[in-house]
Amino acid sequence: MSDNIYLPKMGRIIDVNSEVEGARAIKTFRVEFVNGDGFDHECGQCAMLSVFGKGESMISIASSPLIKEYKQFSIMRVGRVTTAIHDMEIGDVIGVRGPYGNNFPVEDWKGKNLIFIGGGCGLAPIWPIIQTAVLQRKDFKDITVFYGGRSSRDIMYAKELEKLRGDAEVHLSIDSEEEGWNEFCGFVPTNVMDKSPSPKNAIAITCGPPIMIKFVIQNLKGAGFEDTQIYTTIENKMKCGIGKCGRCNVGKDYVCTKGPVYSWADLKELPQEY
Amino acid sequence: MEKVLKKDNLRDWVIALSSYEVHAPAFEDEVWNFKQVEKPEDAALDHTNTVKPPKDFSFPQREVYCEFAQKKGEAPMVTETLPALAAPKVVFGVRPCDGRAGPRNDTVFSKEFDDIYYWMRRKKVAQVGLACNTPPSRNCFCTAVGGSPHSEDGLDVLMVDLGDSYLVKALTKVGEEIVKAGGKALGNASAADKKTAAKAKADAEKAPMREIVDIKTVPENLQKNFDSEVWGEMAQACIGCGICTFLCPTCHCFDINDEVTNVTPLRGQRVRTWDNCQFPDFTMHSSGHNPRNTLGARLRQRVCHKFLYFVQNHDTYQCVGCGRCISECPVGIDIVAVVNKVAHDVG
Repeated sequence: MSDNIYLPKMGRIIDVNSEVEGARAIKTFRVEFVNGDGFDHECGQCAMLSVFGKGESMISIASSPLIKEYKQFSIMRVGRVTTAIHDMEIGDVIGVRGPYGNNFPVEDWKGKNLIFIGGGCGLAPIWPIIQTAVLQRKDFKDITVFYGGRSSRDIMYAKELEKLRGDAEVHLSIDSEEEGWNEFCGFVPTNVMDKSPSPKNAIAITCGPPIMIKFVIQNLKGAGFEDTQIYTTIENKMKCGIGKCGRCNVGKDYVCTKGPVYSWADLKELPQEY
Repeated sequence: MEKVLKKDNLRDWVIALSSYEVHAPAFEDEVWNFKQVEKPEDAALDHTNTVKPPKDFSFPQREVYCEFAQKKGEAPMVTETLPALAAPKVVFGVRPCDGRAGPRNDTVFSKEFDDIYYWMRRKKVAQVGLACNTPPSRNCFCTAVGGSPHSEDGLDVLMVDLGDSYLVKALTKVGEEIVKAGGKALGNASAADKKTAAKAKADAEKAPMREIVDIKTVPENLQKNFDSEVWGEMAQACIGCGICTFLCPTCHCFDINDEVTNVTPLRGQRVRTWDNCQFPDFTMHSSGHNPRNTLGARLRQRVCHKFLYFVQNHDTYQCVGCGRCISECPVGIDIVAVVNKVAHDVG
């Protein structure tokens, strides 16, 4: 079966953690491969998860490539497949094929200041870089993480973000005021403006809802960041994951193979249709 | 290798190809379509062009990827269902435009990742082309997109109608085998036969067809006019039926779905089916966000895929000028008119 790109390998769920509850629930799953299967991945790559009888869904791999024991996926419950995955428990077996797409050029960023800007579920695709930078802390200069949710109940990786504070500057935000919330109130792009990170020797990496990304990029540009210093990762509906089924393209690029990772210098050259 | 085949001897050639599954155009339900030849005497090549292109010999409308079964609390069992037993096929009567679609589809299904389902079928399909001495449709425009009514590209054999006979030219190793298999049904081509065929080609290439204005500048102009309102205006009548892409010889978009045949214990199939960029849910995210949420954006995708993106990625148009999408569109959306309008007539 090895040369059949469409057949998934089997992975067993070894850990489930509920990040966010409610209508936009997010759960984090850790999956280890069974039957001696598996693959290595790079920061920013995705995998096609399968629940037989429901279908497949492309999900970014949310753990560092340095972690070999399992792959982590943080998944919002929105459609048929993600709902089925949310119903799965420790020990259940899920299909996994991949890894797909390009990756963040993390090696090139050693010696630089890294600024991460995430919103909602968009912390997951950039988490592997944060995790890698922390595991190789000496290789990077300052690490700053901006992250925001609609409310305090929508903050994912809450414990991990707290643990990060020794290694990184962490700026959380929620959209509107809440009793007991001591950090920023307002949208993520505004929080970035408020703290005004320096573009000097820095790379900014952002992921979140399309509207957030748009304003983050605008604000970073205003703060003096060059197009080549800004990276994002985009998502589109995908079926094949290998540049054939035809739906995830932005202009000439199939996001599943040429993306999902883009510098703003490259992304702005494509038709703004995503 | 060039041979000549008396029209009455087509039957004998088909009989000689008994180790293959032979397909040829047949007129049924008021339309021409490829059909397996049951009786060799029925094989004839008097069609215009088929309504459906021959792409489904390699890329069928429905391809089962695998079968799955799962008992509650147990791991899923997956059985691969490759088309390994697909019979070798000879397809007669492929028009040169459809022949040219083959190499384009091959590119899509290989590139970085080889598609095993496609290639298992494709390697067993030999295409015997029939040159067009006159355009088979009023919407033909093969010459506008770099083709020719006598193009050999992508075909294994090309046949040229000489009146009472065909000139039969083997173009590939497989083509030579097929021609050789015909044995005495085919005779040697004379210099006069070759001369007649050459004249037919020269005449055919001069025949009037639909024209795309200044094709070389089309990609850059489509890019320049990406945000033009004309896309929306020209797509206004579209009912989103998708016939333009289903009947297109180079459209390759597909969907993958799980079809459950038994709920408990779970049994079913994972199936690939043709899909269509003209459907709103083709690109709609689960969240409801849709990058191509208007008729204009979807028409633009279809046209730009063929005349801009494919050119950027593969240095050739992904349109072979068969004209099916024009002839069969229920509301008369005309890709030639759209290209000419957006590329050359947007203020």
